[in-house]
Order: sequence, then structure tokens, then C-alpha cells
Amino acid sequence: MSHVKAGIDRRGRAAAPIAGSALAAALWLAALPAGVAGARDHSPFPAGAGVDGSAAAARIWAPDAFLVYVENDEDVDDHGSASRWGYLYFSPSLQKSRVYSLRDGAIVVAEDLEMKFEAPPLAAEWVDSDAALAAADERAGRAFCREHHGRLSQMLLSRGMFESDDPDATTWTVIYTSPHAASLFVLVDAAHGAVRRTWRG
Amino acid sequence: MLQRPVRHRPVPRPLLAVALAALLPGAARATDPAAPSAPAVTEVKVERTRPPRERLATLRFLKENRAFFRARLDQLHQTPQRGRGEATAIDPRFLAYQRMLAEVGAARDSAAGIDQERQGRGLFASINDLGRLESQLDQVERMLADQRARLGVLQGDFNGLQRTALAIVLSGYPRAAVLSTVSITLEGGRTLAVPLSAGQVESLQRGAMLQVFHGLVEPRSQVVEVTLAGDRWPQGDSGFVALEPPRDRLTLLRLNLSALEPAAGAPSIVASTWLHDAELKTHDARPEP
Repeated sequence: MSHVKAGIDRRGRAAAPIAGSALAAALWLAALPAGVAGARDHSPFPAGAGVDGSAAAARIWAPDAFLVYVENDEDVDDHGSASRWGYLYFSPSLQKSRVYSLRDGAIVVAEDLEMKFEAPPLAAEWVDSDAALAAADERAGRAFCREHHGRLSQMLLSRGMFESDDPDATTWTVIYTSPHAASLFVLVDAAHGAVRRTWRG
Repeated sequence: MLQRPVRHRPVPRPLLAVALAALLPGAARATDPAAPSAPAVTEVKVERTRPPRERLATLRFLKENRAFFRARLDQLHQTPQRGRGEATAIDPRFLAYQRMLAEVGAARDSAAGIDQERQGRGLFASINDLGRLESQLDQVERMLADQRARLGVLQGDFNGLQRTALAIVLSGYPRAAVLSTVSITLEGGRTLAVPLSAGQVESLQRGAMLQVFHGLVEPRSQVVEVTLAGDRWPQGDSGFVALEPPRDRLTLLRLNLSALEPAAGAPSIVASTWLHDAELKTHDARPEP
């Protein structure tokens, strides 16, 4: 798993050391208000709350479309909620993938995914992001953030992407990053909310 | 299982939609005083330029790590196995509809027989006949009640299946210019060019409406581009209408061309939207005893 770019933060930038150049710091500060202020203006929600809205659009795009992947598009708060989540659907008949990004109950981005992503469907039932984050925090995330000045970076819901031993399982992957240490990955079973394993990379 | 929708399904050819009268706000109330109030009509502006859209990134982690995900998908890829397919069970509701219809049909046959018998006798000979007539009327009433119950079941099962849809209609015709074609470009780039025939122009001038599109759309912000072509706009003249079709509702967009000014072009179209109320109203028209 080490080749996953875990250092990507929620604004799409590679995580940089805190003691960067003045220019980098200035750019960071200049970019910060737009992303953070924008997210604060909107109500955070757990990932599950956006499934119905995205599915309604996906079924119009392709009747056979099914949900294959979920990722936070804005920062995830301490309760596992984000003001925007992205939902990726795959259509076998079209052989295409389409993503819907939802904010405040509305679709704010709808676009076809340029890459082929013929992923298996997520399980029909899965624990929501709040429960998954609570389990990940409890097992290792909270300690990681405390010891390494880390932070929650990403929450991904997928099937078979991070669990070679059980590729049929739908899992949450909770990623914590730190400027001083390798990232922490916590794999949470999305069926029961229990942590399956953790690793650094 | 969901019904198979048709995405951006245009009408086969532009139709003078007489039936659209039923969808128009206020149309139902004009013919039926007991009908619900007309839906709210919202005027929308036809802009000269395409409204700007917020640019937001999505699935950044996935896109940044596409090589990793692609590799994992290749490992997960499975070859379909040959096997015996198993039929799925028929929804018992559909079997029930057939049974209910057969029961109602049997009752109808009985009612028809009763009617023939009544006609054959011509006159009621005694008070006993009047009693029989009353029981026969009861039977007909029961049949009507059965039909009402069946329709109620159908409504309960299927009402609310409205998908997010958009219908676009034209009305009116400009006085100061000849309009030969109206083109509609939907979100996503699909264009429907509707040439106006002489008959359609005449109908529009007389107050008819022309449906140019009716199909499913994603429940999100939509920008519809309207392009006019005619003697005053040989190269075409475009305007943009921003819509927010709500989920699982039919949104109607009316483009009134009667106020179209040759100099102003497409932005002088008067556009309005409203939501079609798909709810079936129950009317019990039986008089009080």
C-alpha cells in the first residue's frame, strides 16, 4: 500500500513540511480561506445521507448504474461528516463511470470519470462515516494525531481496493497524515464497523 | 426493479400537444372548480451568456492515485462463469392486479346480465321486483366499489414513481420576425433542432403549444440553451436558461415567443417554469343519500 499517495490533503495539494519556504507558506495562506470558508458555509453530513440523491441522478444517467466508491470532497470533521462527498457510479452497459458530488443535498458536480473504473458494487448496507471514523479514531487514529501532530485526511468507501485477503468486503479506509511521519491507514469493515487492520505507508 | 427510463428522450417529432393543456397551470381549475389550486409559475430570465458554474474538484484522492486503483481493479477483475440462470419470482402485486381485474370483470358480466334481464321484463309487476332491482343496484354499486379499491391499490403502488423529468414547450409566435427553427441544447451538449412547419406556426399564432422536449434529466442545476433561426437570425441567436429540476418531479419550461424582439433576440423570450403536480386526486362524486 505504500504506493498510495497518502499525503494528499483535502484541497488536492501534497502535504508539505510545516517549515516550508515563505513563498509556500504565503501560497498556502492565500489558498486557505477559499477552501475552508467555502466548506464552513455549508452543512456537514455523513456520507450515507447523500446516497439517495446521487442514486436518483445515476439511475437517470444509466438504469444499471451502481455505487462503487465514495470519497470526501471536503474536510471530514470529528464526527465523520463533510460538507461535500463524491459518489462514483459505474454502468456496465455504458462501460463508463460518473461521479456526483453533493453539498447541502444538491448535486454540485456531475461529470464522467475519464479513467476506466470497472469496480465492483459496494455492499447494499454499510456503516456510515461517523461510525467508521469513531472506530478508526478509537483504534489508532487519535493516538497517531496526538503523537505525530497528524490529522484526518481522507475517508474512502470501496470494495476490494485495500483488502487483498477479502476482496469481496466493502470497507472504509480512513487515512491520517502527518508532516513528520508516514501516514496511517485504518481499514474498517463497513458491514460491522470493526477495524480490520492498520498499516503505515 | 426500476423501470427503464429513456434519457433525454425527445418526442418523435414536435407535437402540438393538446394534452399539454392538462399540464398547464390553471387549466384544471378552469374546468373543475373542485380541482386543486394551480402550481406556482416562476418566471426565469433568458440570459445572453451561459451562467457561470462553480468549479469544484471531486474524488481527488482517486484521481491522484489512479495507477494504484487501476492495478487493484485488474487484480479484482473476474471472468463471468457459465451457469444456469435462475428466474426471479414475479412480483405478487402484479398477479394480484390481474386477479382483481378478473373479479371486477366477472361482476361486470353479472351486471350486464342483470341489465338484459331488466330490459326483457319491461315493467315491474310487483313490489318484489322493486326489491330485486334494489339488490341489483347494490350489486352494481359493489362492483364500482371494487373498481375504486383496485384503482386505489394501483395508485398506492405506482403513484410517486415520477422520475426527474423536464418538458419544454413553445408558445406564441413573434410578430416582427419569421422564425424557422428553434434549437434546444440540453445540459451535456445534446441538441434538438425543431423546424417549425407552416401548420405549427399557424397553431402557435392561434395560441397552441408545441412540445419540443420531454425526457428524464438529472436532478441538478441545468442550463438549457435556446437558439433561434429565421430571417432575422440567419446565423442563429442564442439565449441560456438556468433551471433546478427538483428530484422526482416533472419540471415544465415554457418559452413564450410572442414577445420576441428581432433586435433583442433570444433573451427577449419570456420563459417560465412550474412543477407538474402528479398526485392523483381522489374524487368521490357520489351524491349524498
